[in-house]
Amino acid sequence: MQLSDRITGLFLAGLGLAAAWGGSRLPAVPGQDVGPAAFPMLIGGGLVICGVMIAFGIGHSFEVPEEEGERHSTAYGLRALVPPGLLLFYTLAVDRLGFMLTAAVIVATAAFALGARPKLALPLAIGAPILVHAIFAKLLRVPLADGILPAFW
Amino acid sequence: MHDMLEAFRLVAAPDVLVAIMASAVYGLVVGSLPGLSATMATALLVPVTFYLSPIAAIATIITASAMAIFSGDIPGCLLRIPGTPASAAYTDEAYAMTRKGQAELALGAGLWFSAIGGIVGTISLVVMAPLLAEMALSFSTYEYFWLAFLGLMCATLVARSSPVKAVASMLLGLLFACIGMENPAGTPRFVFGITDLLGGIEPIPALVGVFAVSEVMRAMVTPEPPKLPDRKFGSILAGQWGLTKKYQWPMWRGNIIGIIIGVLPGAGADMAAWVSYAMSKKWSKTPELFGTGHVEGLVEAGASNNASLASGWVPALLFGIPGDTITAIAIGVLYMKGLNPGPTLFTERASSMYALYIIFVLANIIMIPLGIAMIRLAAKILRAPRASVMPVIILLCAVGAFATGANLFSVFLVGVFGCVGYVMERNGYPVAALVLGIVMGSMVEQNFITSLIKSDGNPLPFIERPVSAVLASLTFGALLWPVGAWVVARLQRRRPASA
Repeated sequence: MQLSDRITGLFLAGLGLAAAWGGSRLPAVPGQDVGPAAFPMLIGGGLVICGVMIAFGIGHSFEVPEEEGERHSTAYGLRALVPPGLLLFYTLAVDRLGFMLTAAVIVATAAFALGARPKLALPLAIGAPILVHAIFAKLLRVPLADGILPAFW
Repeated sequence: MHDMLEAFRLVAAPDVLVAIMASAVYGLVVGSLPGLSATMATALLVPVTFYLSPIAAIATIITASAMAIFSGDIPGCLLRIPGTPASAAYTDEAYAMTRKGQAELALGAGLWFSAIGGIVGTISLVVMAPLLAEMALSFSTYEYFWLAFLGLMCATLVARSSPVKAVASMLLGLLFACIGMENPAGTPRFVFGITDLLGGIEPIPALVGVFAVSEVMRAMVTPEPPKLPDRKFGSILAGQWGLTKKYQWPMWRGNIIGIIIGVLPGAGADMAAWVSYAMSKKWSKTPELFGTGHVEGLVEAGASNNASLASGWVPALLFGIPGDTITAIAIGVLYMKGLNPGPTLFTERASSMYALYIIFVLANIIMIPLGIAMIRLAAKILRAPRASVMPVIILLCAVGAFATGANLFSVFLVGVFGCVGYVMERNGYPVAALVLGIVMGSMVEQNFITSLIKSDGNPLPFIERPVSAVLASLTFGALLWPVGAWVVARLQRRRPASA
């Protein structure tokens, strides 16, 4: 997701303003001049200055131009959202489905998204969750959810 | 002497030795896979360190990072794809040697001089840290505030990006660190009614997100790198002693530059390698050979990036200020394990410090046999398709984040930080500065607010003490440098136009 410096700069300036405003509304410590508001207001101010400078292109000359890769359609670019989407799926599904099933779905989906054939993706989707479960749940005692398909050990 | 013996006993514990061996193999494998950096290898290890003893936890971080920095040379040399950014400086040179049929010499030089650099860097850590610790004992909150701020500023100076964007990234990191109740009044700040945010943003989900998840996101939209041709290697270490004698001066120069860059807060192994390679070319008797497959640059830069790894621990252990992104992660582990960084660590926990030195030396010694085995295995590992590695990494990100607090919100945060890291990198914002901001945020704020309360809101005491005055001027120099450089660039552009 490549955006112009004007957009990212103005976003940062807006964020800085919001941080400073939010900070200024925090309650003070009784009997103290400085409290929890001071630091966010300072950072907010800094972000506003930086955001405006970026929007005006200051410092752009120092950037190393990004290598021209293949141009892709927006739909292809959306594939980048697969990993965070899978993490979101993990948070929503793991307690109900259990670690094994959720992990298998995640591994298989990520492998197919990266162009794997079924003869690679399917064994990986079975083997990786078992290995990760063995390391984290068995050796490190991390309480991974059992759900509808508990580990066989 | 008693502390030293105790340190040997700590390192010889079976769990520590197993941790060293396992993390060595892990570091070598992850570092050798293109696109998976040493920082990412270390970030993914943190959840595992949660379950280890303090010394075993630190040993995994030290060993995995040293191995990953070396093994990043392998795909660089064989495929012209650096395994880690620290290898990028001399990838073309190493690949040119491979094309000349000298792959063994190039890989052997990477391994041999990385090990030497690591050991020299460790010696610098042993010598420098206690001396600086004595000085640091007299530091007050003013000095700590400026040191932390200077560390953040240095991170922005060395970023190979727009300095303004680097400062903005750092400020964004500090803003993330403001979230939660860990502030002078214990007031919930920027939590938006979400109870999971009351404890603040933990550095681990942020690190795993910006370094690992964003890498998997990038892999989704970039083509698969080329496969390595099957090839048998000859002797790896043959001729390395000859190179050591021939290129003694470049090697020492690389070691010293690596140490200096490592000590500077924010500048890490990749910076050390770039500077050393450039220095090597500048001072070489045969600069015309550089770029054609000449080993001299590899000697100097290979020693330099590993030397910087050890010396990067000096500011981390003394002040809790990371020398680079790897030590930023290590600081999190130190706090988690009760080994809070600070000068008193050298007096009260001396045996732990000695143990840390021994682990550094041990890691660099076992790097040689394991590195040789890794080079021989490289042909097989580098042939693993990306579609078999990346899905496992995304699974490890989820489980690793969950393991830190048995909290699914951490997994969600990893995804959020993955998106943040991806968008930032695509738009030229350095994510390392963001991470340093998150790691150091509470320390900067605590020292800033305590100093302001002590001085009754008066800014003068911030610059009255001699050391704090020097640190303040250095910080302002770093802060104003982007503006100054921009003005100079503008003036220079205008001059030829008017001439």
